[in-house]
Amino acid sequence: MKSLTLEGATFWYPATESPALREVSLEVAQGEVVALVGALGAGASTLLLVAADLAPRVTGGRLAGAVARRDRSGIVLPTPWTQASGMAFTVWDEVAFGPANLAWPTHEIARQVDRALERLELIPLASRDPTTLSGGELQRVIIAAILAMDPGLVLFDEPAAELDAGGARTLWRLIRLLAKEGKAVLLATSALDALPDVADRVVWLEDGAVRAVGTPDLLADVAACDAGLGTSVATVWRASGLPGPYPLTVAHAVQRWR
Amino acid sequence: MTGRRLHPFTLLAIAAALPALAWILPAPAGGAATAGIGLALAASRGLRRGLWPAVLTAAPFWLFLLLLHDVPTTIAIGLRITTMVASFVWLVAALEPARLVEAMVAAGWSASVAYLLAATLSAVPVLKARAKRIVEAQRCRGLSPRGGIAARLRALRALALPLVLSALHEVDERALALETRGLVPGIHRTPLAPPPDPAVERALRWVLLLACLFALIRRFM
Amino acid sequence: MAVIPALRLDGVSFSYGTLPALADLSFSIAPGERVALLGKNGAGKSTVVRLVAGLERPDEGTVWVGDWDTHDAAPEQLARRVGSVFQHADQQLFASTVRDDVSFGPRALGVGAREVERRTDDAIEDLDLAPHAAHHPYDLPPAFRKLAALAGALALEPALLVLDEPTIGLDGALRGRVTRALLERSAAGVALLVITHDLTFAAETLERGLVLDRGTLACDEPLAGLLGDATRLEPLGLVAPPVAALSAALDLPGRPVRAADAARELARVARGRPGP
Repeated sequence: MKSLTLEGATFWYPATESPALREVSLEVAQGEVVALVGALGAGASTLLLVAADLAPRVTGGRLAGAVARRDRSGIVLPTPWTQASGMAFTVWDEVAFGPANLAWPTHEIARQVDRALERLELIPLASRDPTTLSGGELQRVIIAAILAMDPGLVLFDEPAAELDAGGARTLWRLIRLLAKEGKAVLLATSALDALPDVADRVVWLEDGAVRAVGTPDLLADVAACDAGLGTSVATVWRASGLPGPYPLTVAHAVQRWR
Repeated sequence: MTGRRLHPFTLLAIAAALPALAWILPAPAGGAATAGIGLALAASRGLRRGLWPAVLTAAPFWLFLLLLHDVPTTIAIGLRITTMVASFVWLVAALEPARLVEAMVAAGWSASVAYLLAATLSAVPVLKARAKRIVEAQRCRGLSPRGGIAARLRALRALALPLVLSALHEVDERALALETRGLVPGIHRTPLAPPPDPAVERALRWVLLLACLFALIRRFM
Repeated sequence: MAVIPALRLDGVSFSYGTLPALADLSFSIAPGERVALLGKNGAGKSTVVRLVAGLERPDEGTVWVGDWDTHDAAPEQLARRVGSVFQHADQQLFASTVRDDVSFGPRALGVGAREVERRTDDAIEDLDLAPHAAHHPYDLPPAFRKLAALAGALALEPALLVLDEPTIGLDGALRGRVTRALLERSAAGVALLVITHDLTFAAETLERGLVLDRGTLACDEPLAGLLGDATRLEPLGLVAPPVAALSAALDLPGRPVRAADAARELARVARGRPGP
């Protein structure tokens, strides 16, 4: 079942002549992880804001084309410190902020918060003051806070930016788990090397338009490598002059090598 | 330390009643009494967080008053302003924004109004933390906090501008970000831990209100 | 004549109040050396940066920046030798154009007007920021503000650059710019100490790895050897970057960790192999 459908979506930010999104058509099904890749300014963040019903409703601007949503969405922005409530004593309270705003009964809030804290391995930090957290810890708290609101469509904008290797690994595993539970996930990331294990489909955005859509194998295409959007392994393979198709991951490379 | 266990509405009531009484009661005795109480409250939050900021903020006003008025008027108005400043400093230090939101929501206020009020009050520590980061970054670029007037003005510009610019820039982002947390107008938030409101405190708030009204009436009789 | 290290920590311990952050930390960095400061979140890396910049003084031990003891120097004095860029540096920008902001550092140091211009121009050039030099910093996307903040540190022309996560929020192309700018400076003798959790960036830009674990030095060795060794990285909470993992998996000679080197070795080995 489709959670999100965009048809020919074109979006202009206020007082801007050229559109940030041009005729974007995209579908994300429940249980699917779709990754948006592209250079900075290609429109991935804007696309997520449109998907979250924040653009143009809150950002202003103009939207042409059709957007259909089946589920409630939750979005994790690339600047987690702006999403912090600023008035929680503890990490637990911070994560409970969103569910409380949804007017859920307290036992339901407690259930969702405890579950979210566990998934993001935040139980040891549950009583900490959010203002004392490091960037990576805060990012995980905000992710937990959005998940605690139990959205059907989960949108991530560079969620691993501030995380260390262990945190990133937990995050990618969690994203696969969310899809398995039937959520639809749309994620913008520059962590290309993680995508073969995380994404079901990859959408390549260029100057606001969809340049290509495919499985993560797309990240081993000649065009992607030349645009700087190939995985590290594919890029090295291409640079070495060896013939394509280029391997996507170390495991693929090892297979090819034999 | 006062304030930590009082209900947020009681804190607001005291912080509002003191300045009100300072202006209503006859000067200079009334102002002196309320200023004394205000400074004592501010001091109860500690020298660094309470008394010192109150004194530092009130001092320039006294200076301006001296330039404009004679001594008795200066004292009368100065004490009133000191009361206002001290009460506000005490309130910001004593009031926990989270508790205020919880109290207002439990009392039936809209969550976004509650949040707006609480965020305004908590803006001070947030800006202070950011100012500290900016001062550090500018010092590491060679900005010296010492020197003559010209140097200090340059230093102030290098601190104030980024503080204001980045804060303003973030306002837009923040409004958007808070929507993502479900903070939209018209919601009825579930209170998570409404602060207890003992009858004694409710009575105290009524007493403060009546005291102000009584003083007001007496003043105009 | 012995060369004075660009940076030396000598038995440094530091606590934030009662919270211990660093314990008996010692290491030194030579001029021109490119060092990655690695470790899990909370290991103490940012504390090291604050101590080197002079924002904190060690409880025990000494931090030497060149031949200056940070105990005796204020951050604005240390700015003559150390260029620091902290996280969220994009919040420190205040001038009305990028160029004005970048020139803030050299002007504060008191060098002559012509010298200020030269240093500013060089810094802007190094990061390809010329097209944006006349823009208001807040009209630029956050990634370019970050580069502007880095340019500000480069313009100080310090002997040591200390950077805290310089590539967060940058895409591949901009990360490449940072790599090129840092390699150029290092070739001119500037020492680098870079906190980063992007091990691919570390592999491309830096040569030596200092790994902190709960405030102590768990490891101090060349990145080339460290990054390809999964058995060493795991207990330190690190994951081998793909190029290093590829080199190890294919057993490429020299186990290169940089993309260009790996491509070259791959081609060489492929040429030498019998056909399929």
